[in-house]
Amino acid sequence: MFLKKKSFALKGAFFIAASMIFAACGSENTKEENINTPSEDSVVAEVETQEITYSLPSPLQIASIFKKSGLKYKAGITSKMIDPAKYTTNINKSINLGVYTADLSYAVLNKQNQEAMTYMKLSRKLADNLGMGSVFDQGNLSKRFEKNLSNDDSLAFIIAELQMVTDMYLDENDQQQVTSIVFSGAWIESMYIASKVFEKEKDKSLNNKLAEQMTILGSIINALKAEEKKDPAISGLIADMTTVKEIYDALPSVKNNPEASEDIETELTLTDDEVTQLTSKIEALRFKFING
Amino acid sequence: MKKAYFISLVGLLFLFGFTTIQTADNCDKKTLTASCKKKLDQFKYDSQKFTKINFTKKAQQLEVEVPIFIGEKYRLVFNTSGLPKNIKINIYTKDKEAKKREAIFTTKDVKSDDKEFVFDAPRARKMFVDYDVPADSTNAKLTGCMIFMVGYK
Repeated sequence: MFLKKKSFALKGAFFIAASMIFAACGSENTKEENINTPSEDSVVAEVETQEITYSLPSPLQIASIFKKSGLKYKAGITSKMIDPAKYTTNINKSINLGVYTADLSYAVLNKQNQEAMTYMKLSRKLADNLGMGSVFDQGNLSKRFEKNLSNDDSLAFIIAELQMVTDMYLDENDQQQVTSIVFSGAWIESMYIASKVFEKEKDKSLNNKLAEQMTILGSIINALKAEEKKDPAISGLIADMTTVKEIYDALPSVKNNPEASEDIETELTLTDDEVTQLTSKIEALRFKFING
Repeated sequence: MKKAYFISLVGLLFLFGFTTIQTADNCDKKTLTASCKKKLDQFKYDSQKFTKINFTKKAQQLEVEVPIFIGEKYRLVFNTSGLPKNIKINIYTKDKEAKKREAIFTTKDVKSDDKEFVFDAPRARKMFVDYDVPADSTNAKLTGCMIFMVGYK
């Protein structure tokens, strides 16, 4: 009887062992960006060139660039503070986490600190729904944000720190695709805010910054494509973002100045009609995002 | 019955130990991140990218595209202390497909025991960070990770 039990226990332990070894070996290859493809027959002098990868900026930096260009605060243009429970799919949660992060950055940089606090709480709820709410507790970020509501500089640094722990968390959990999805939502929201302010102000500097932001859309789309295998739902987002790029690339000012996207001395200015064409598409996409 | 539990427990402990050995790659991400963050100094954190590198018989080249914006000041901090062998880091303003490009930063001439590099970027639209990973003929299956962090002000 004891032998039977012992045999059963041993088999159980062996089975668990085999499963875990298998899982460990599997995760070794998928855990992180892995740049080797070992080949026993390779020639030593040969250089193996890998696919290009992307490092996208943070939503706070985008908000900061617009702010420096003269983007003023306009009440009521950020997203409505909808209950995050409305978003049911992971991709919608991630996109709208980006939207909230952009709104949070806009509010902080414009000293709208109570509004910032609300977006911080909404971001936390969405992050909880995505299973990554713990990042808000690292280094007491949530509490520090609340305590520093009267200190704008500190709030901006706390948001930057939140970005850092979020990047770290997503990397450690092999969820780098979430970074690209969140940034896509944040970028569309930032472009929407800037375009709404531009509608009123018609500020040339803001026009230039809207055009400059378009130069990174190709990188955003490529970053999403690089992660497409991890989440098939990304395909729809890539298609949406591509429609914005197609509209921009077809604008006469863009077609007539092909060097503008590379030349550091050239600042592209779009006509008012071109800005309207571009921002109509951004507005439609933003509507689609926030309505889940 | 107690023996059965004991054997299962020993099996599990063995497994956890084995799994840990299998996944260890000298990559202490928290330490690397903290070290880079210090070097950002007054620059605000923007993004970071970890890269795991497995040294093979073939030399390898990896490129990371970093979009940046005119008018902003950027600092890039690299830390290679998690790598078992040195690699070369070059930064360009054009990608590897460009016919002609010149490095705006290189670790080619740095001392071999330097593991952390700081680079304040000039005005540019994009930066392309290239890692030149040397071949390893020892078949030792060397592996490790490195990080670069971007800050702005």
